[in-house]
Amino acid sequence: MGKLKVGVYGITGCAGCQLSVIFNEDEILDIVELVDLRAFPFIKEVNPEEEFDCVIVEGLVADRGDLKTLKMLRRNSKMLVSLGACACTGCVPAYRSFTLKENYEHLLYRKMEEIKDVEPTPLDAHILVDHYIPGCPPEKKEILSFIKGLVRGSIPRPYQSPVCVECRQNGNTCLLDQGKPCLGPITAGGCHAVCINGGFECWGCRGPTEDMNLDLMVRMLRDRGFDDKFINDRLRTFAGLKLPMLEKVMSGKAHKTETTFRGVRVFYE
Amino acid sequence: MEVLLLKKERLNGFIEKLQQDFEVIAPLKGDVIRFLPLKNPDDIFLGKNAYFPIKEYFFKKNEVLFQFNGTKIIVPELPSKKRAFFGLRRCDLNAIKHQDMVFMNDIHDPYYTAARKDSYLIGYHCNTAPSPYCFCGSLELADYFDLMVYDKKDDFLVEIGSSKGKGMAKKYASLFSKTSKKISEEEKKIPGSDRLEKKDISLFYNNSDWKKGTDLCLSCGACTALCPTCYCFETHDEVKTSNINEGERKRNWSSCQLQEFTRVAGEHVYRKDREERFKHRIFHQLEYFKEKHKVPLCVGCGRCIEGCPTRIDFVDILNNMKVENG
Ligand code: SF4
Ligand code: SF4
Ligand code: SF4
Ligand code: SF4
Ligand code: SF4
Repeated sequence: MGKLKVGVYGITGCAGCQLSVIFNEDEILDIVELVDLRAFPFIKEVNPEEEFDCVIVEGLVADRGDLKTLKMLRRNSKMLVSLGACACTGCVPAYRSFTLKENYEHLLYRKMEEIKDVEPTPLDAHILVDHYIPGCPPEKKEILSFIKGLVRGSIPRPYQSPVCVECRQNGNTCLLDQGKPCLGPITAGGCHAVCINGGFECWGCRGPTEDMNLDLMVRMLRDRGFDDKFINDRLRTFAGLKLPMLEKVMSGKAHKTETTFRGVRVFYE
Repeated sequence: MEVLLLKKERLNGFIEKLQQDFEVIAPLKGDVIRFLPLKNPDDIFLGKNAYFPIKEYFFKKNEVLFQFNGTKIIVPELPSKKRAFFGLRRCDLNAIKHQDMVFMNDIHDPYYTAARKDSYLIGYHCNTAPSPYCFCGSLELADYFDLMVYDKKDDFLVEIGSSKGKGMAKKYASLFSKTSKKISEEEKKIPGSDRLEKKDISLFYNNSDWKKGTDLCLSCGACTALCPTCYCFETHDEVKTSNINEGERKRNWSSCQLQEFTRVAGEHVYRKDREERFKHRIFHQLEYFKEKHKVPLCVGCGRCIEGCPTRIDFVDILNNMKVENG
C-alpha cells in the first residue's frame, strides 16, 4: 500500500493552526516520510487538489470562497479533520453572530458583498467532519498523534474530559477558589491545562465538554460577582455557536444540557 | 507497641539525621500545603494537613509502563529510592494502607511496589481535627506506620509500628530517651473527627437527596485527583514519529466522575448520568471496597470536599438522608 495522501489547508483563520503543524520541526521530516503530504499551500508551491485520504482544515467559513473551497476539499477527500478552534467551534471570528452589524461593518477589509449571505460558522455547519483537533492554537503533539494514528489505523480518541482533570493532576490549585472566571469545568481538555499552569483562567478555547453542567457554571460565575454581559461575552468568545442553549440557561429556562463537538445533541428543558 | 520519647528541641536534629540517610518528604507551606522534598527542617508545616495527597509518590500521575518495538516489550528499570515521609496523618497512612492492598496485595503492581518498597512512613498524630472537613474518626482506621509522632505538649512520644521503624529507632537511638509511657487506644481517637453518622448507606442508593450533590457537581474530577485512596487509571500508547511501531505505553490517573471512564467501543457509556457517577464514587469509597476488603476505602481526610469547587459535602448529604417510602 502506498502512503496516505494528506493535505493541510486553511480557509479564514490566522494560520496559527497550520503553524502548529509546522512547529513540530523536529519531526516534520518524519511526517513527510510517513505520509504523502501532497498539499499544504501555506508552505508548498505545488499542491494537487484531488484524491486525498485525509485533509486537515484550519479556519472557519466566513465567506463564499471559503464555502467553495471547503466543499471541494470534502468532495476530494475520504476524511476531513477540523483543525483548531475556528474550524471546530467558530472561535473569535464567529463572534460576529452575537453583535450588531453596525459594530463591525466599518472594520471589514473585504466588501460586505462577499460575506453578506454567509454566517461565520465552523466546518461542521456545512459538511461532515470526521475528526476534531480543537484548541486555539491546537496542541502540536495532538496533530502529530493524529497523523501517526491515521497511518497506524487507530486514530486517538478525542479528549472529552474537562480541563480540570489535567489541571488538578498538574498540582494547580483552583482559580475559581480565587474568584477567577475559569471555564475549565465545562471545557474539553487535552491542552495539559496550559493556561492555568501559567496562572491564567481557561477561556474555553477547546469547546464544551459533552456533559458540561452549564447551568452550574453560570451560577458559579454569578456567585463570583460576574455580570451577565461578562458571562455571555466570555462563554461566547471561543465557543458561542456551540452553546445555542446559553440564553435559555442564563434566563433560568433550561438546566440540563448536553452537547457534542458537533453541536447540540440532546437538550432538556 | 514500644514507645520512645523525643525532646521537642531534638525534632530538627532527628530530621537532619534522616536527611543524611534518606530523601525526606514533608508537608511544606506554599500557596497551599503540599508534601514536597525537604531542604530545611524549619520549613516543615504541621498546622494543617496537606491539600494534595501523598499518593503521587507511589501511584504516579503518569508513568511509562513499558516500551515496545514491534512485538518486543522492554520494561523500564524500576529503581527504588530510600525515602522517608514525615508528617503523614492517620488518614494519609491508612490511605497508603488501602493503596498497598490494591497495588501490592490484590495484584503485584511492580511500579507501585518499587516506589513504595524503600519508603519509610513517619506519622504525625492529630491531637484534634485540623480541618472542619475531617471525619477519619467515623471510619475504621488502623495503625499503619513505621514511626508515629505524638505531640504531647512538653515532649514528643514516638511509637514504633514496624521492623522498619524499629531499625530507625535503633539507628538514631542517641536522639531518643526511654519512657514508660504507652499510647492508649483512647489517645488515638481524634476529637472532632467523627461527623459522619453510622448508617447502612446501601438503603439510600435511590434516595432523592443525591440531587443535592449532583446539582452542584461539575464532574470535574477534582475530588478523585485529590483523594489519597482513589487508584483508578487509564492507559494509552504513544509512538515515535520516526517509527510508528516503536513507542511507550503510559498510564495516567483517571476518575469515575468522567464519562470517559466507562466509555467503551461503540461510544456506549455505562455511567452516563451525572448522578450515577457521583454515587459511584461515594459507594465505592464507603461500600464496594468494603465488600471485598472488609474496610471502607475512604479514610475521611475530607480532601474531596475541601478541593471540590462547589464544596459538595457528601458527609452532610448522607447524614441528612432519611429512608424514603416507595
Ligand atoms: S483552575 Fe480552572 S481548570 Fe483548574 S481546576 Fe479550577 S476550574 Fe478547573
Ligand atoms: S482526617 Fe483525621 S487524621 Fe486526617 S487530618 Fe483530619 S483529623 Fe487528622
Ligand atoms: S470535585 Fe466536586 S464538582 Fe468536581 S466532580 Fe467531584 S464532586 Fe463533582
Ligand atoms: S473520599 Fe474524600 S474523604 Fe474519603 S479518602 Fe477520599 S478524599 Fe478523603
Ligand atoms: S472513587 Fe472512583 S476514581 Fe476513586 S477509586 Fe473508586 S472508582 Fe476509582
